Amino acid sequence: MLTYIARRLLFLPIVLIGVTLLVFVAMSFLSPYQLVSSYIKSPEELKNQSLDDLVRKYGLNQPAHLRYISWMKKLLRGDLGYSVSANMRVTEAIAKRFPATIELALFSIIPVVLGGIWLGTISAKHYNRPLDHISRTFAIIGWSLPDFVFGLIMLMIFYGVLGWFPPGRLSMWADTIVLTGDFIRYTGMNTVDSLLNGRLDIFWDAIRHLVAPIITLAYLWWAFLLRITRSSMLEVMNKDYVRTARAKGLTEKIVVNRHVRRNAMIPVATVSGSMVLGLLGGVVIVETVFDYKGIGLLTATGAQQLDYTLILGTTLFYGLLLVATNLVVDVLYAVIDPRVRLE
Amino acid sequence: MKTKSLVLLVVLLVVSSSASVFAAPFDPDTFVYVGGAGGPHTLDPAAAYDTASGEVIHQVYDNLFEYVGGNLDEIGPQIATAVPTVANGLMSVDGRTIRVPIRKGVKFHNGAELTPEDVRYSFIRGMLADTAGGPMWMFFEPLLGVQTMAEVIEMAGGSGDFAEISEVDPAILRKAHDLVAATIEVDGDDLVFHLVDAYPPFINILTKGGSWASILNKDWMVANGAWDGNPETWSNWYDVAVEEMTAYERANGTGPFKLTVWDKSGGQVILSRFDDYWQGPAKIKTAFIKYISELSTRQLMLRAGDADAIYVGQEDLPQTRLLPDVKVVEGLPQITNTVLFYSFTIPVQGNEDLVGSGKLDGKGIPSDFFADVDVRKAFNYSFDYQAFLEEVAHGAGVTPKGPIPQSLPYVNPDQEYYTHDLTKAEEHFKKAFGGELWEKGFEVGIVYNTGNNTRKTALEILEFNIESINPKFKVNVIGLEWATVLDKLRSASLPVFVMGWLMDFPDTHNFAVPFMHSTGTFAGYCGQGLIDLAKAEFDELVDAGIKATDPVEREAIYYELQKRYVDLAVGMPFMEATTHRVMRDWVQGFVYSPAYSANYDFYTVYKVQK
Repeated sequence: MLTYIARRLLFLPIVLIGVTLLVFVAMSFLSPYQLVSSYIKSPEELKNQSLDDLVRKYGLNQPAHLRYISWMKKLLRGDLGYSVSANMRVTEAIAKRFPATIELALFSIIPVVLGGIWLGTISAKHYNRPLDHISRTFAIIGWSLPDFVFGLIMLMIFYGVLGWFPPGRLSMWADTIVLTGDFIRYTGMNTVDSLLNGRLDIFWDAIRHLVAPIITLAYLWWAFLLRITRSSMLEVMNKDYVRTARAKGLTEKIVVNRHVRRNAMIPVATVSGSMVLGLLGGVVIVETVFDYKGIGLLTATGAQQLDYTLILGTTLFYGLLLVATNLVVDVLYAVIDPRVRLE
Repeated sequence: MKTKSLVLLVVLLVVSSSASVFAAPFDPDTFVYVGGAGGPHTLDPAAAYDTASGEVIHQVYDNLFEYVGGNLDEIGPQIATAVPTVANGLMSVDGRTIRVPIRKGVKFHNGAELTPEDVRYSFIRGMLADTAGGPMWMFFEPLLGVQTMAEVIEMAGGSGDFAEISEVDPAILRKAHDLVAATIEVDGDDLVFHLVDAYPPFINILTKGGSWASILNKDWMVANGAWDGNPETWSNWYDVAVEEMTAYERANGTGPFKLTVWDKSGGQVILSRFDDYWQGPAKIKTAFIKYISELSTRQLMLRAGDADAIYVGQEDLPQTRLLPDVKVVEGLPQITNTVLFYSFTIPVQGNEDLVGSGKLDGKGIPSDFFADVDVRKAFNYSFDYQAFLEEVAHGAGVTPKGPIPQSLPYVNPDQEYYTHDLTKAEEHFKKAFGGELWEKGFEVGIVYNTGNNTRKTALEILEFNIESINPKFKVNVIGLEWATVLDKLRSASLPVFVMGWLMDFPDTHNFAVPFMHSTGTFAGYCGQGLIDLAKAEFDELVDAGIKATDPVEREAIYYELQKRYVDLAVGMPFMEATTHRVMRDWVQGFVYSPAYSANYDFYTVYKVQK
């Protein structure tokens, strides 16, 4: 397994160079005056602006390959450049936004996966019976709803009407403490940092801000996991060894939990892996609706504004994330199913 | 099962009962304004030239002068102690020397006392740092008669066309510094400006609302890495990236609020009251400016009381008016103009999506299509100004009478302007290109930047009316991404486009230059044809207008400029928009000024629970 991991890691730089090269080639089709739009973001900012001066100042008139080489040189020094849309260096932007996304992903993945598997199991156990239909309908409604709409409904109910779960990552009083007081940022994750700082009030506030996005994400993703779990379980339920387990007189609970569910988990693990990746990559719409400033919103804003340093930096980062997550999922296969051997 | 249900019920009860705990309590000490997407570009006054940056700078810094009560007609002293006029002897008769007495006892946020040298340093350092696309042209033009520091280097005997400033001879750099340094001097407790020529709106440029004229603390700036005043080293700070400028994300002003933090990743700016403010402390202790792109989220925050004021676009105002406990202040005058521009020389090759065949054959337009004055007049008569104002802009504005907004001085109230008149439009279309246009027809693409639905609708009105005049006329309304619009503007490839101009300072000159001068912002986007026309018809008058100190003379010049612009149908100004503010009804002390970038002056606002 170690050889396998080492080999995959050796391919990492090639994958990353390939990905960034691809982005650079795509960006090279844009003229310098299209790229300068990241500095002049709207017609209202077009005041006495000398486009040529801006193009020259930011080196946008250089040939794409020279810009790529210059970018690579900086990269080797650990500098991903300055993002004009984020108003900070790309490394800093990623470092500040990614913890927010990790926090949301960590808190979301448990209800998403457990809920999805639970619904899938119920559906499979009650195949073609009312409970199967109900759980599938419930989940499919979630899958069919645009995340924007469902997010707004959640915000309307839980913030607008009940006042429970506000948008953003922290309330303003908490923000003031976190940003200006003696509060130490260890991880960038508000829940973790508040506990490490002994501030339960801020911890509780951070949780309040996480609930609505988590509910939204969970409901939207359950149908996906339900479908995979259900079909996988139905397939396993027809296997000989399950029939044998039942013939041995084991209770249905033991048959399902020990023999069926565990064996049905491989495709679920694959899907969960890509789900984690999706969550870590940021969920733009949910982040927009709930004003949850994570990496998805950062990337989307950068892309909209043709902020090519940010686009390249986040692409590189996503590439790294993708390879790492896939590697973890592959290793998990072997853990879940001892028949799988990594070579 | 029963246990599970019981647990769920208990959780629900607990959560429901704690709803009141979650509700945001009324906080009279904190003011929260939630703007739309984005945020400041920089907090350095020498580089800031966007409204979001100006909004923060407004609260943190002071200027030499201020508009009394926000009223543009009345300028009073702020850091100065008097407003220079010829009558009070602080301005020379020729308008070229202006003496400004500086107030004593004013403190910066770090406790240092303001001196005249701080004021001088702020402006000299801003000019020497001149950032590409920055606002410092407003100092260069009156003080040195140029637009950029590169031009000052030319004045000093160098070439302004350098790739790196390090290539320029140090002796020339020193001379360029001296030229700039000589424009402002400290004389005892006064500051003396030496202008190259009379420049009537110079005082406006220095007045509150002009973020570029904010006053910095020299010692603090130098201690934090800014230029130290050494004439030999200034070029090290020339046109550096904005994020490398000293006051990019930190501030030490004399304004009523201190910058607590610019939380870029969190999309907010937090300001705290400066208790030693020389005019007395503000009523609000803490102010938040947050940037949230989603309107529904902003509206919910306003409803919940988490926001005291929010940004709402004109098109979303009807639904916002329905919110309880919210007041909408409408009809606030702005000094702005939205204009439909024509490109006089349109490149044909590679521009087929907009000009079709590139010939006058009914399948496109020739390069000089809009160089024909009858085409431009016909377009101007085809637009339904009233319908646009009432149905698209919902009455939030007025129809202009030319490129100069009517609230500025020297606008001729009797200037005749175009109306929606399809008969006249037809007459001009028949005259255009010697009648050939009417016979053959044309097809043209007219462009708006995607996302701007108001401009899209304006173009659709034009499309509908023009196509109704002659079935051979075909107008295609095309939405392009802003980046593409910018690219095509640069090459003057857009036959027709819509653009707005919001004033820098309230003077006619600030509209005459961009709309009419051959070196103005828009001339370059409208092709060589317009540049040539501007040189012949406008440049001399525009240049004379700014140098004239006699109001009667200025009036005559600007009246003539407006007449020529309308007669030649250079463009189609169609909207002077008003603006509005949306706030909770507990917000008091709101002061509006068209000169302010800030939506709210946090010094004047306070909250009273209803």
